[in-house]
Amino acid sequence: MVVLNFTLIPEAAAKVHDLLVCLGKFSETVAIEARQERFTFTALNSSKSAYAALTLDGDQFFSSYECIPSQGGPDGRFTCSMSTRALLSVFKGKLYDPLGRDGAIDRCEVSVQDRPDETQCRFIVKMHCNQGVVKTYKLTYEAVEVMHALFDRNAAYNRWTIHSSAMRDYIEYFSPRTELLDIFAGEDGNSAVFKSYTEKITSGKDVLKNPLATAVAVNTSDFDSFSVDPGLHIIINVKDFKAIVLHADTLKTELRAYYSQPTRPLQFSYGSDGLLCEFTLMTSGDYNASKAPSAVPRQAHIETAPRPRPTATEARESRRMQPEMPQPVAPASQSASRRVPGSRKESSQASQNGSASLFVRQDEEDAQWEPVDYNNEEETLGWDASAEHDPATFQTFRDTASRARTQKAESNEGVAPTQRISQIKGLW
Amino acid sequence: MRFKASIQNINTFTKLTASLNSLGPLAWVKLSDDQVCFTIIPEQGTQVWAVLSIDSIFDTYTVQSAANNVINLEVPLAALNRALKSAWNATSAQIRLTKKDGMPLLALTIVTASSSSHAGFPTATAEDDLDDVYDQPFGRGSRETTITQEVPIRVLAHETVAGLHEPQCREPDVHIILPPLLQLKSISDRFTKLALVGKSTSTSAAPRTRLELSANMHGCLRLSIRTDAMNISSVWTDLNNPELDPGQVEGIEEHPSTRMKQLGSADGRSEEGWATVRIDARDWSKVMSVGRLGGRVIACFCHEFALILYVYLPSDSGEEESVLTVGSSGDGFYSLPSWRS
Repeated sequence: MVVLNFTLIPEAAAKVHDLLVCLGKFSETVAIEARQERFTFTALNSSKSAYAALTLDGDQFFSSYECIPSQGGPDGRFTCSMSTRALLSVFKGKLYDPLGRDGAIDRCEVSVQDRPDETQCRFIVKMHCNQGVVKTYKLTYEAVEVMHALFDRNAAYNRWTIHSSAMRDYIEYFSPRTELLDIFAGEDGNSAVFKSYTEKITSGKDVLKNPLATAVAVNTSDFDSFSVDPGLHIIINVKDFKAIVLHADTLKTELRAYYSQPTRPLQFSYGSDGLLCEFTLMTSGDYNASKAPSAVPRQAHIETAPRPRPTATEARESRRMQPEMPQPVAPASQSASRRVPGSRKESSQASQNGSASLFVRQDEEDAQWEPVDYNNEEETLGWDASAEHDPATFQTFRDTASRARTQKAESNEGVAPTQRISQIKGLW
Repeated sequence: MRFKASIQNINTFTKLTASLNSLGPLAWVKLSDDQVCFTIIPEQGTQVWAVLSIDSIFDTYTVQSAANNVINLEVPLAALNRALKSAWNATSAQIRLTKKDGMPLLALTIVTASSSSHAGFPTATAEDDLDDVYDQPFGRGSRETTITQEVPIRVLAHETVAGLHEPQCREPDVHIILPPLLQLKSISDRFTKLALVGKSTSTSAAPRTRLELSANMHGCLRLSIRTDAMNISSVWTDLNNPELDPGQVEGIEEHPSTRMKQLGSADGRSEEGWATVRIDARDWSKVMSVGRLGGRVIACFCHEFALILYVYLPSDSGEEESVLTVGSSGDGFYSLPSWRS
């Protein structure tokens, strides 16, 4: 019998909405792993090229949090998976609204009913609205084993940090139909180029159907930190990148990238106020094109890296950093329920030191000039009740490059594959 | 073959491509020494023949080719429009014809002021804000971000486009300056929606909804729609019928519009003196998209035959040299008339 109860304030509930929107871009199902100290949403996309783990800190993120797993003691966990859309239809937008308009809640209570004396196992969400209205949602879930992608940050010596809102401005230039993103560190070390493109269609008239290829050249001084081998190209999926940047921007936080070389995984990490987001992505690119970096600069880099220590210390560290942490930012779902790339609310614009957002005025004005599409039925949102989702999407996967180094750990029977590297660090 | 220009009027160029994109996905662009022409001839619907003076859009413009310095291109408008949109608050924007992996493309190079102001402000506390104000002009300002947008295109041979000519059409019966297009668009869109109520909009077999547009030479414009269930119309009065320029149009006394002037009245109640055309409602909604350019629009009615709109781009100098010709309804078009300014 598991005990899992937690309560969210409206701001936190809105953040859950935002993160579910983001995870929904990766997978139809989201997996949940609850531990005594923290609560993690994970998602793995169907091609297993992108893995997301969003960890909510038990003390910081929730107004109250209690998790007593049925077995395993302090290291035990409760895991399950659910349809992302079903959860999203509970954690709708506009949960947080200081004016208490439609959809706003007072608090959100979640509990899991998983007892032998009950016939039904349910994930129960109670939304306490104004005037004492309580909306109760009972969601079905599926017991699954949750696996984590392992990422060795020590090997990922290429790193950069940039504010998410700056990166958000850059991704708005990208054509929506492109597939790939090439992150290129200039030979001179002063520029980074983000290029979104598509593998070309070269036959006849279809040439004109190619989406725009967009290259954004950014001065490295626009980064908070930038330390990448000059001339290194690394290629990831541009849609994944956009989803990550858009979500990071809802938190108004810094986005950090860690990677080594093409064909090895890349990790994006960001977070604030008890929410830590990590995305591990497959990369491609010309392996040989990247110069083999000498050991000396690599070593030097690790010493000077802003955060050389692996993730397990993250929560502690962010708590320690709290005094410098920003005021909680209103979640995106409050200011704009639906973010169209390129459009941004005037209010947030004003707060940005007068830096006019891209395209905004034009798009608003533009809409009225667009020809009316009379065939456009009103959009309806539902969820797929067909239960055809593949439950077995969660498997262990890891960077094969770091295998050589972690072999010893693997052969050690007592270490579960889901442990963080930091926890097994002492073993080798 | 060389083409390179800096875009002086990004705003106008963006709106122009957005308007054209509503009417067709591909445009034929003819670049020559003294003008830029955009032509859209969709399989059905409205044709556009746009002629722009170089300096209404470009600055430092060079075009060179073996064919009398004329280059013909086929350009996907959605991509071009999107590329131009990224230049919305650019400090400079250049466009040039280039090749990459043997594929011709138009490369837009856009330089924007650095977004370094992002680096600190959203997370900054009140005190930090003050520091930022001082830091920026010296520390973090004055940097630039360069965006390169590559629009795939096709280069057209001279022979391919040689046969292309603006259609000729008889002299119009009525010419009139249209009321603000946004007003006209919202009313006609509303009419169309009303006409579609209850019809299954998804079946393409449904009869096309047609708007009836009429005008007389006494400043009246009438927009109406007729279905089995209703008949609505809206009438504008006190619009302007521009005078024909006797220096450019021969035989004004014989001109159809002179004859139409004898008929009808300024209150729009008379049944006489109207020149009427029927237009596909969806097509009309697309055509109205040119309103975003904000220029003066003269509509020429050839009774029961064709409607031609002349859209004059507003320019800084007050002259209206660039003209978009938008032909609608029917099969015929006619050559550009001249109006007394």
